[in-house]
Amino acid sequence: MVLQVNKKIKANIISISISVALTFLITIIIFLIIGKNPLEVFSMMFADVFGSGYGFGQTLFKATPLIICGCGLAICFHASLFNIGAEGQLNAGSFVIGLIAYYLSGYSFLIAIPLALIGGFVISGLLGLIPAIIKVKKGVSEVITTIMMNFIVLALINFFLIDFFAVKSTVHTEKISDAIMIPKFSDFFPMFRGSSLNLVFIVSIILAFATYYFIYKTKIGYEIRAVGYNETASKYIGIKINKTILLSFFIGAGLTSLVGLNFIMGYKGYYEFGFSNNLGFTAIAVALLAKNNPIGIIFSALLFGFLDYGGLSVNTLVPKEIMFVIQGVVILTILSVDKLVEKYYLKNNYWN
Amino acid sequence: MELISQIISLTFLAQVLRLFTPYYLGANAANFSERSGVVNIAIEGFMIISALGYALFTIFSGNAIIGLLSAIALSVLFSFLFALFVVKLKINQIVAGVGFNLLMAGLAKFLIVFLFQSSSNTPRFESLPNIPFLFDVPFIGKVLSDYIILFSFALLFISNFILFKTKFGLRLRSVGENPEAGESLGIKVRLYKLYGVVICGFLASLGGIWLASNQNSFSDGMIAGRGYIAIAAMIIGKWKPVNIFIACLMFAFFEALEISLQITGTFIPSQIVQMLPYLITILVLIGFIGKTKPPAADGIPY
Amino acid sequence: MNIIEFTNITKVFGKLIANDDISLSIRNNSVHCIVGENGAGKSTLMKVLFGVYKQDKGIIKVNGNEVKFNSPLDAIECKIGMLHQHFMLIDDFTVLENVILGSELTYNIKLDFNKSEKILNEYIEKYNLDLSLDKKISELSISEQQKVEILKLLYRNSDIIIFDEPTAVLSPIEVIEFFKIIFQFKIEGKTIILITHKLNEVKEISDYVTVLRRGKLVYETDRDNLDIKTLSKEIVGNVEIKNDVQYSDYMGDSSIIAEFNKINLKHNKINILNDLELKLKKGEIYGICGVEGNGQNEIIDVLCGLNKYFKGNLEINTDKISLVPDDRIKKGMIKEFTVGENLILKRKEVKTINNKLLKKFAENIINKYDVRLSDINAPMEALSGGNQQKVIIAREIELDNDLLIFSHPTRGVDIAASSFIHSMILEQKKDGKSILLISSDLDELLKLSDKLGVINKGRIVAEFDKKQFDLQNLTEKTILLESIGKLMIGITGEQKN
Repeated sequence: MVLQVNKKIKANIISISISVALTFLITIIIFLIIGKNPLEVFSMMFADVFGSGYGFGQTLFKATPLIICGCGLAICFHASLFNIGAEGQLNAGSFVIGLIAYYLSGYSFLIAIPLALIGGFVISGLLGLIPAIIKVKKGVSEVITTIMMNFIVLALINFFLIDFFAVKSTVHTEKISDAIMIPKFSDFFPMFRGSSLNLVFIVSIILAFATYYFIYKTKIGYEIRAVGYNETASKYIGIKINKTILLSFFIGAGLTSLVGLNFIMGYKGYYEFGFSNNLGFTAIAVALLAKNNPIGIIFSALLFGFLDYGGLSVNTLVPKEIMFVIQGVVILTILSVDKLVEKYYLKNNYWN
Repeated sequence: MELISQIISLTFLAQVLRLFTPYYLGANAANFSERSGVVNIAIEGFMIISALGYALFTIFSGNAIIGLLSAIALSVLFSFLFALFVVKLKINQIVAGVGFNLLMAGLAKFLIVFLFQSSSNTPRFESLPNIPFLFDVPFIGKVLSDYIILFSFALLFISNFILFKTKFGLRLRSVGENPEAGESLGIKVRLYKLYGVVICGFLASLGGIWLASNQNSFSDGMIAGRGYIAIAAMIIGKWKPVNIFIACLMFAFFEALEISLQITGTFIPSQIVQMLPYLITILVLIGFIGKTKPPAADGIPY
Repeated sequence: MNIIEFTNITKVFGKLIANDDISLSIRNNSVHCIVGENGAGKSTLMKVLFGVYKQDKGIIKVNGNEVKFNSPLDAIECKIGMLHQHFMLIDDFTVLENVILGSELTYNIKLDFNKSEKILNEYIEKYNLDLSLDKKISELSISEQQKVEILKLLYRNSDIIIFDEPTAVLSPIEVIEFFKIIFQFKIEGKTIILITHKLNEVKEISDYVTVLRRGKLVYETDRDNLDIKTLSKEIVGNVEIKNDVQYSDYMGDSSIIAEFNKINLKHNKINILNDLELKLKKGEIYGICGVEGNGQNEIIDVLCGLNKYFKGNLEINTDKISLVPDDRIKKGMIKEFTVGENLILKRKEVKTINNKLLKKFAENIINKYDVRLSDINAPMEALSGGNQQKVIIAREIELDNDLLIFSHPTRGVDIAASSFIHSMILEQKKDGKSILLISSDLDELLKLSDKLGVINKGRIVAEFDKKQFDLQNLTEKTILLESIGKLMIGITGEQKN
C-alpha cells in the first residue's frame, strides 16, 4: 500500500483520530458521571486484554466477524448502497452454512467446508440481490427494503429453525462433526488456551486484503467506486450502472455469510438464533470508522473487539453494556467530526 | 370456531386498540418528520429512550406525571440532537439514524444493568393515571380510560388538521416536497425541518411512554422493532394520516391475531404472521399493492 | 422616471465575471427586454435584482432608494416578483396551495381557503388564466404551470415583474396568450423585465432593449430605433478569426459513420427530436449550433446508446464512440479519482490496476497533452478547469475510436487551453475520424467545422458548407452571422441554405 499523502487522506487521518479521541473523552466522562475511576477501568481493561493470551485471543475472536461483515458492507457502501440488511443476510447465510455442514458431516472437510461456504454465500448474496433488483427496476431506495427484509428474513429463519431444524427445545441446529471444525489457535499456541480464537481470524485478515485488492486494484472495484461517487458521470463514461449495483450488493451481502464460518466451524459447531447480536449494525460502525477501507476495517474491528471483550473483562466495575453506548458514540462522533473536518479543513477543495 | 369467537370479542378489540396505539403514535411521528423531508429511522431509538426515561423518572420520583413529562423532554432533547446532525450538519439521515438507534438502545441496556443490576428489566412502577369513570366500562374500560390511547385516536384528526389545514402544515409539507420553491417564497426551510423532527421526537416519546406504562416495567428489547413497523405503516399509509390509521389497525389486528393463535395453538406459524407488516410494505413499495410516493425531497439534505 | 437603477453592477463566480460593471435603468411602466446569448449574464443580473445573488460591486436603486436584498423575501417586499426559468412549484400541491404558500391568509389558526380562492378566482377571471385551483401541479401542462407562477406574482401584488425566458416553453399560440397578459400588466401600470432569446418577440412587445454580451452591457435601444439586424449582430458580436489554429482541408470521403433518418424522440409528450436528419462522415467535422436545449443532448444520448426510446431509423457503423460531454464535473469524470484512474475507467483491456499502470497512463497524457498538475496522485478536482478538460479529451482521443463527440469542448476553459483543444480536434480529423462538434460558441464552430448544421426544436433547420461560411469579406460574414442567429432562434424562411 503506497501512502499517498494528499489533503484528503490527511483529512481522513485527522477526522479518525479526533473521533477516536472524542469517543475516549466521552467514555471517560461517562465513567466519571457514574462514579468510576476511568484510570482504574482502563488499566483493568488493558491488563486483561494484553496481559493474557486468553484475553488477547478473545479480543481477536470478537474482531473476526466484524472484519468479515465490515468488508462486505464496505463493498456496498463504496457503491453508495446503504445496506442496512446485513443482520438478516449474515444470519441466513450462517444458518445455511450450519445446515450444509451438518448434513455433510460425514464427508471430508475439503468437501464439506467449501460447499457450506458456497451455499451460505449464495443465500446471503441472493438476499442482497432482492433490494438491489427492486432498486434497479423500481427505483425504490435500498434503505427501507433492507430494513424490512431484516425482519422478514429473521422471522423466516426462526420459522424454519424451530419448526424443522432445531434441536428440540433449543434455538440452535444440530452440532456438526468435529472433523470439519476449524482448528483453534490454542491447538498450536498453548498461550491462547481457553480462547475461541480460530483460524478464521487469519481468513478474515486475508479477506480484508482481498477486499482491498478488489476495491482498489481491480477494474470492477474502480467501477463500483465510480458509480458510488457519481452515477451520471459513470453512465457517460460507459459503466453499466445496474450491473454494478447488482454485483456490489451480491458480493457485499454474500461476504457477510462468512461470519457463520467463525461462529459455527470455529466456535460452537452449530447455528444459533440470535448469535449475531446486532453484528450487522455494529459492522456499519466498523466500516464507517474505517472510511470503508478494508485495511482500516481490520483496525477498527480490533478496536471494537477490544471494547467488546474489554467490556466483559471490566464487568465487575462497569456493566459490560457500556460498550453498546460507546458503539453508538463512535458512529455519531465520526459522522459529525467528518462533516466539520470537511467544512473547516477541506474548505478550499470543498467548493471547487 | 374458538378462534373466530375470540376475534369478535370485545377483549380482542381492546387488544387490537392497545397494540394500535404505539404504532399510530410512531407512524405519525415518522410522518411529521418525513413530510418535512427528513427520513427518521431513529424513531425506534426515540421510543426506547422515552420508555426508559418514563421508567427511570417514575421510579425515582415516584410520580408518573413527572415520569411522563421528563420522558417527553428527554426524547425531544434527543430529537434536537438528531436535527443538529441531519439538518444543521446535513449528515446522511440513514447513517445518523442507525447511530442514534445504536446509542439509545445501548443507553437503555447499560442503564438498567447499572441502576438495577438486571440485564433484562426494571422493577415495576406505576402506570399513568386513567380517566376514572370510564375505567369501569366492561372489557374495553381500560382502553377507553387511557389518555394516550384516546390521544392517539384524536391524532387522526389532529395530524390531518395540522398537515392539511394550517399554515404551519402547508409550509412543513412544502419543505419536504421542494425546499427551493419554499425558500423562493421566503420560507425558512431548515427551521421547518427542525419542527418536523422535534414533533417526531414528541410523538414517538408518547409511544414509548405508553408501552412502558402499560407494561409497568421497562425491559430490554421491549420496543422490538415497533419504530420500524411504524415507518412501514407510514409508507403503506402513503404519508396520509387516515391511510396510516388503517395500516396501523391492520398491523395491530395481525399482531393480536398472532397472540390469539399462540393461545389457541393453530397450524399457522406465528413467525409468518410476524413478518406480514414488513412483507406488505415491500410489496407496496414495489407497486404490487397500490402506488406510493414519498415527499419529493424526502431524505435529501438541504 | 426610472423605477430601477443598476449602477456599476459586477458579479464574479470564481474566475468567471458574470456581470461586468453593468449600469442600466429600467423605466417605470415599461416592457424592458434583456437579450443575449447563453452565459451573457442576463439571468445573473436579474437574480442579483431579486436577491438570489449579492453583487460584488455596484448599487441597485428601486424607486430612487438604494436597496440591499439579502434574500428574495426582501425583493418580494419591494413588490418585485420573478418568474424563474425553472418553475418553483410543488408538484404534489394544488394550484391554490402553491400560490398561497408563504403568504397565507388564515382564519384563526386555520388556512382561509375560501377567502384566498375568492381573491385568486378574481385574478383568474380578470387575466383569463383558465386555471382550476384544486388541481395538482403534476396534472397541469407546462403553460398552465406558467400561469400558476403568474398567479403567484399577482397574489403578491408584484409591481415589477421579471420573466426569465418565459416563452421558451410555450407553443406559438400560448405565446400570444402570454403577451396579452403582459400587455394587461402594462396597462395596469406594472413594469416588466423580460429575458429572452427570441428577437421577433422583442420586436413585438418591448419598449426598451438592452443587449448583454459576455457579462458586459454592449448595446441599448428603444422601440422606435429597434432594428433586428443590428440587434442580432450585437448579440453575437464581432467574431474575429484568430490565427492560432490552422484549418486543415476537407478530408471527408463518402463513408458514413452514423446516419439519423427521421429520428423522433419524445419526453413527457414533448418532441425533443423532431424528424432529425443528420449524417456523420469519416474525416469530417460536423458542427451543430443552436440554443441549448433544442435536442443537442438527446442526439448524444441516442448516439451513445444511452437512450433507446427513439423512433426512426438510426444507422451507426461503429461501436467505437468517444464522448466529451458538456458538463465535465457532472458527466465527464469522477472528480474524486486521480488522472490515471479516470483514464483507465474507459480502458476495456485493463482488468487489474496498480500504481505503475496508473502512472504510465497518466504520464503518457500529461506529456502528450501538456496537462499541468502539481501531484500525479491528486484527485481531478484539484486540477484547473482547462486541465480537467484536457484530461477528458485526451482520454477520449487515446481510445482511438471512429466517432468522436465533443460537446462544448472549451466551455469555461482559458484561451490557451482552448486553442490547444481546437488543434487536437483538427488533428483527429486528419486521422480520418468522424467528429460531431456541439457548441454554443459560434466562433469555435465556424473555425473548426466542415459542415455546420443549425438546430432548432430538435430538427436541423439549415446546413452550411465550409465554403459558405469560410468568408474573408466582413460584410458577407456579418450577413451570414445574422442569418445563423435568426435560424438558431427559430426564424426561418428568409435565407435557407
